[in-house]
Amino acid sequence: MSINKDTIVAIFLLLFCGIMINSSFDIEDPGYQGMKASFWPTIVLCLLSVMSLVMLIKSIVSTTDNNLNSENTNSQNIFLKFKNASICFLMFILFLAFLDYLGMLIGGVLFVFGLLTLLGGFEIKKIINHSIISIITIGIMWSIFTFGLKVILPEGEILRIW
Amino acid sequence: MIDVILQAFASIVLDPVTLGLMFVGTLAGILAGAIPGFTIAMGVILTLPFTFGMTAVQGLATMLGVFVGGFSGGLMSCMLTGIPGTPSSVATTFDGFPLVRSGRPGLALGLGLWSSFFGGMISAVILVALAPQLAFLGLEFGPWDYFSLIIFALTITVSLSGGNITKGLIAGLLGLFAATVGEDEINGVARFTFGFDDFKQGFAFLPVLIGLFAFSQLLTDVEDDKRAKSPLMSQSGTVVKVEHRQAILIILKRWVNLFRSSFIGIFTGILPAAGGSISNILAYDQAKKASPNRSNFGKGEYDGVIAPEAANNATAGGALIMMMALGIPGDIVTAVMLGALMIHNIIPGPTFIQDEPLLAYGVFIAFFVAHFFMVGLQAFSLRIFLLVTKIPMYVLASVILAYCAIGVFALHNIVFDIWVMFFFGIIGYFMKKLGFPLAPMILGVVLGKLAELNLARATGISDDMFLFISRPWSLFFLLMAVISVIFPFYQEAKKETLFAKLYVPVSMIVLSLPLFLMGSPVRMIVAVILVLTGTYFLYKRTSSLKTT
Repeated sequence: MSINKDTIVAIFLLLFCGIMINSSFDIEDPGYQGMKASFWPTIVLCLLSVMSLVMLIKSIVSTTDNNLNSENTNSQNIFLKFKNASICFLMFILFLAFLDYLGMLIGGVLFVFGLLTLLGGFEIKKIINHSIISIITIGIMWSIFTFGLKVILPEGEILRIW
Repeated sequence: MIDVILQAFASIVLDPVTLGLMFVGTLAGILAGAIPGFTIAMGVILTLPFTFGMTAVQGLATMLGVFVGGFSGGLMSCMLTGIPGTPSSVATTFDGFPLVRSGRPGLALGLGLWSSFFGGMISAVILVALAPQLAFLGLEFGPWDYFSLIIFALTITVSLSGGNITKGLIAGLLGLFAATVGEDEINGVARFTFGFDDFKQGFAFLPVLIGLFAFSQLLTDVEDDKRAKSPLMSQSGTVVKVEHRQAILIILKRWVNLFRSSFIGIFTGILPAAGGSISNILAYDQAKKASPNRSNFGKGEYDGVIAPEAANNATAGGALIMMMALGIPGDIVTAVMLGALMIHNIIPGPTFIQDEPLLAYGVFIAFFVAHFFMVGLQAFSLRIFLLVTKIPMYVLASVILAYCAIGVFALHNIVFDIWVMFFFGIIGYFMKKLGFPLAPMILGVVLGKLAELNLARATGISDDMFLFISRPWSLFFLLMAVISVIFPFYQEAKKETLFAKLYVPVSMIVLSLPLFLMGSPVRMIVAVILVLTGTYFLYKRTSSLKTT
């Protein structure tokens, strides 16, 4: 018997199913004839629970899967492995959080510049390149969508006040 | 009919805007296919936001340009650098790269290019001939049959997407669940909204798709710090002159291989989830088995280039057949196209070709035209490809992440869609890390609402659940679903085991039952053939068991 990544994922999925099945009881029944609104999601969640349980049993019985205590899972390796992905997540959250203030044009330029610099490095030459790339690419995309496709992209409070 | 075809032809070929869009689409497709780490699906997904402001014909024609271009783009990188640009050009590397290294790069590129062209043309003809017939067949389907067909599409996606079948099924079910969030279409009741008003609209399918597929892929691409900072390709390749005439003559002399590989591609494309990544290897394998020069394979054999390239372009036509005829996407690319049609309030299904003949024939013609663009643009795109390969992945990924956000916002003009994309991007990234295939989840999201709608219709017409197994088509699809779920176990089983020996013949005999129930003479004949072949195999295999 071993506990591995699949065990944790299966337990998480079972918890998720439990919460969702519980909230499916709150789905309103307007009393119309035919299939109830909760019927299909309940079927899907029940099947998902069964498959998660199968995954849990398989992961516990399995002897080959990567164990949680293996060297791959020490904190330094995990940090290095997910460093760039975490930077992307963080930058994207910041971009979305400030979208109302900065708008798509300024926010987009800052997002691309920030991400390029954090992923690519802080040398002067690179920073100049990154700023050129971010201004040109976002500028072109913003122009295509705003003037070509007539999409009203978020303007942002800064540009509105200005 | 002729006037519809002529009108559709005019809407594509005589419209300079559509032609221009197809030109750009094909060029973008070739480049997307050529860049390792990028896939054709990624190219088509990123094209989608640009199509919002276009007409349905223009949007689909542009996407078809990317689709067709992508298949042939893969051959440039695999031949010139030995690195396949897309999974659908892996087998081309086996003989394409040695042929280039032997000093014939122009001929190698020519063989790949024209095999792609001929394979695409053959599949285009089959698409035009088969799609309306299959749609005709689809008119026989009731909601029970449609529901079972969707179940089959999901199970076969799970079994063909590779890896762990339990994880594949979980991914498919998560996709089906994601499609239930928001107001349900039948009763208008809110589900799983947890008090958030934004959730009432549900998760729009395109932000989910872009998040799951493109966003998560970009995060994976920049994961390795060293790789993210180095140029896309270390071996850059050089511009070569394509030997068109000689390549065409060689291919036409090997027409049997060309047709066999094209039909393998079409058949693989028709199967949900089985795309060019499978067809090119299958075709290569068959070409090798059938060739008198078997020992030359891997050393620059012409047939080894013709087979995978003809097959992967033919796959595109096969995938379109299912989408056009039944409204069931065969892969992620056709799922995106389905989404593009839905944006224009067009729901593909068996009546699609009859209801929207101009659009349907427009798609057929655009598919033909895209192949001509592909041939014409190859030399030009080769130069751009050599420039693009010098860009590091982190630059490309950063710019495309921003582009994804702008594109997704353009769909409904709401910021919530960007959050949805981001949320599903994280889910997709971790699912990939944990070994869950994404294709079943994407198909689950696409087909979830359709499955529920048909289940509601079926139960609304009759309470009798037995209809799901008493109606021949429904029974046929459910049996296919069971067979497809067992398929990965068959693949893993050792050849000499009883299970491995019985799987194919028993499946054939079992599948004949619904065909007998259908009653029409042609289907009865097919059923008899299935029973006879299955029995023959059963006899042969059980007798070999006795002797051992």
